[in-house]
Amino acid sequence: MSLRHLLAVTRKEILHIFRDRMTLFLVFLAPALLLFIMAYALSVEIQHIPVAVLDYDRSAVSRSFIQQITAGEDLELHSQVNSIHEINNLLMRGEIKAALVIGPSFGRDLQAMRGIPIQIIIDGTEPQSGGFAMEHISRRAEEFINQSLSTQIEAMGGSSNSIRPIDLRVRTWYNPGLEPKVDLVPGLLSIVLGFPALSVALTISHEREHGTLEQLMATPISRPELLLGKMIPYILVGMVNAILLPVIAIMAFDIPFNGSFLLYFMLTCIFIFAVLSMGIIIGVFMPTQPAALALSFLLIFFPGFFLTGIFFPIAAMPEIVRMESLALPGTHYAIITRGTFLTGVGLDVLWPYGVMLFILGWVFVAIAALFFRKKLG
Amino acid sequence: MPSGSAIIETHDLVRDFKGTRAVDSLNLSIPGGELFGLVGPDGAGKTTTLRLLAGLLDITSGTAEVMGYDLAKQAETIKPLIGYMAQQFSLYADLSVVENLKFFADLYDVPRSELSERMERLLLFAGLTEFKDRRGGNLSGGMQKKLALACTLIHQPEILLLDEPTTGVDPVSRREFWDILNELHLNGTTILVSTPYMDEADRCSRVGLMYNGRMVVCDSPQHIRSSIKAEVIELKTDDWQTAHDMLKQRPGVMEIQTYGESLHLLVDSAEERLPEIEKALLDQGISYRGVRKATTRMEEAFISLIRQMES
Repeated sequence: MSLRHLLAVTRKEILHIFRDRMTLFLVFLAPALLLFIMAYALSVEIQHIPVAVLDYDRSAVSRSFIQQITAGEDLELHSQVNSIHEINNLLMRGEIKAALVIGPSFGRDLQAMRGIPIQIIIDGTEPQSGGFAMEHISRRAEEFINQSLSTQIEAMGGSSNSIRPIDLRVRTWYNPGLEPKVDLVPGLLSIVLGFPALSVALTISHEREHGTLEQLMATPISRPELLLGKMIPYILVGMVNAILLPVIAIMAFDIPFNGSFLLYFMLTCIFIFAVLSMGIIIGVFMPTQPAALALSFLLIFFPGFFLTGIFFPIAAMPEIVRMESLALPGTHYAIITRGTFLTGVGLDVLWPYGVMLFILGWVFVAIAALFFRKKLG
Repeated sequence: MPSGSAIIETHDLVRDFKGTRAVDSLNLSIPGGELFGLVGPDGAGKTTTLRLLAGLLDITSGTAEVMGYDLAKQAETIKPLIGYMAQQFSLYADLSVVENLKFFADLYDVPRSELSERMERLLLFAGLTEFKDRRGGNLSGGMQKKLALACTLIHQPEILLLDEPTTGVDPVSRREFWDILNELHLNGTTILVSTPYMDEADRCSRVGLMYNGRMVVCDSPQHIRSSIKAEVIELKTDDWQTAHDMLKQRPGVMEIQTYGESLHLLVDSAEERLPEIEKALLDQGISYRGVRKATTRMEEAFISLIRQMES
């Protein structure tokens, strides 16, 4: 390996990056923009879910029940309807996401301390809002019933504590508010930091398309010199992003950072190496830029979203997909970001993931160098 | 390597691409210091031959040696010794002239102490000194070719492989380019150049004509010209279209080529056919300004050889 050859390629590649606005955008602005947009989308909480109510009871009790349920910002009373048919209509038109049906004996049953006849209908085509509405209604209903029972028991001279035999209180660690953004934004870092892998893939197929690769093949440059020389500028770019992007996450989106930043940075550099080497493989195998672009999305970005455990737990995946997710750098990096941002663990816990990324990176580079021949056709 | 012995040598060299044989049993022997021209119609196998010799393609069968090294096994040893220039512009359009030169100087390990002197000399040689900070993509076609040549010369290779270096270049730049090649030739560089231009073939010390992947003729331009059995009659006429249609039916006329207002007729014997043709023109009432026996040029020789192959 000649340092002179390596640096010649690196220098040339840096000039390419800074002289092409599109590349400059792809490697610097796009990751920051992407993180900003996705993090912003995730930090908006679901509020004002439209709900319809069908009240067969029409008693004072049911009215105050409805009032309690629709108080607050979470649910919004869309309308009171008179039949199931109307509910069906509103759901189909998407005007409501959930409906509450109160049985005719609601007031009486509550008074008599019997089972309470209420029904919640949710829109399964949008399970997130629907489930959210269901959760709210059940919690409010429970509160309402407990309250009314307590008042009755106290009125009869008993202690309201007697109806709560178990007092269960859940505490969530590391993300006390269970806010999705706190978990997802560090996870998203693996996607946006991996974005320059696309440029790495494109730079190789660009040279192939423009005939410059033919000229390079005629020179004494070795394959690792060429491939690593092309990677180094993007690793440098990645290091800048590795500092810039968490700052955005922490400052703009209140994401906590509980671990060591130095550890995070070092492990991130290894991750960038691993994900860029995937880009190298794609560039080596794909003959044209459109093909490289398509395969980058197929191999890096879609699996990055869906198979690395950021959005969907890996434990819920079938065995064969789980194996595949282990070959994705993002899977290991998701654990590293959660560890350094949220739980604040150190190298003693995270080292296996760093080692795994290191191995993956070199395996990818080796595959690329092995299949990349200095021959045409 | 002593001048005179073969510096490039191939034996029954074959290269196949999915079902087609691009180079077929090629036997080539080029002594050191020769300026060898490779001609032939499109698809004859010229580019494939040059790519094979540059170590850019795998050999299907046969052998090829460059400076005594086996191309099949020692391609990487050969690469620093040759300068290869691809047919299309294959430098970096977003790098300046100097940046391109320096990049290739680094890849070929040009000693740093000699670098600036060599770059200056090459820029001067290629007439690019005043454009040295211009981006490659903003150069004219001719200047791009000269820059590409400068980049292939930066490591002072003993062998130059040039694939149609003057295609798409204006005549003045073409002449300048060939003046540079002549100078290199005089300095002892072995040059293998492919070209579609017959006047360029005439400037080579030896010419190889390829057809369908085979080397059909390989000789000095003088020998090739005198070897063809046809002779040329040049006819100047205003009514060349009628003349063309009439003459192509005549016995002994093998081929008619049009050059502006004059027609070049390839005939089996000029002495015998010239009076016949004059008579026929008079009989048909086709006026003409002159008809005479002309010397065979490379172009006619080439076309006649190709026609011979095709029939």
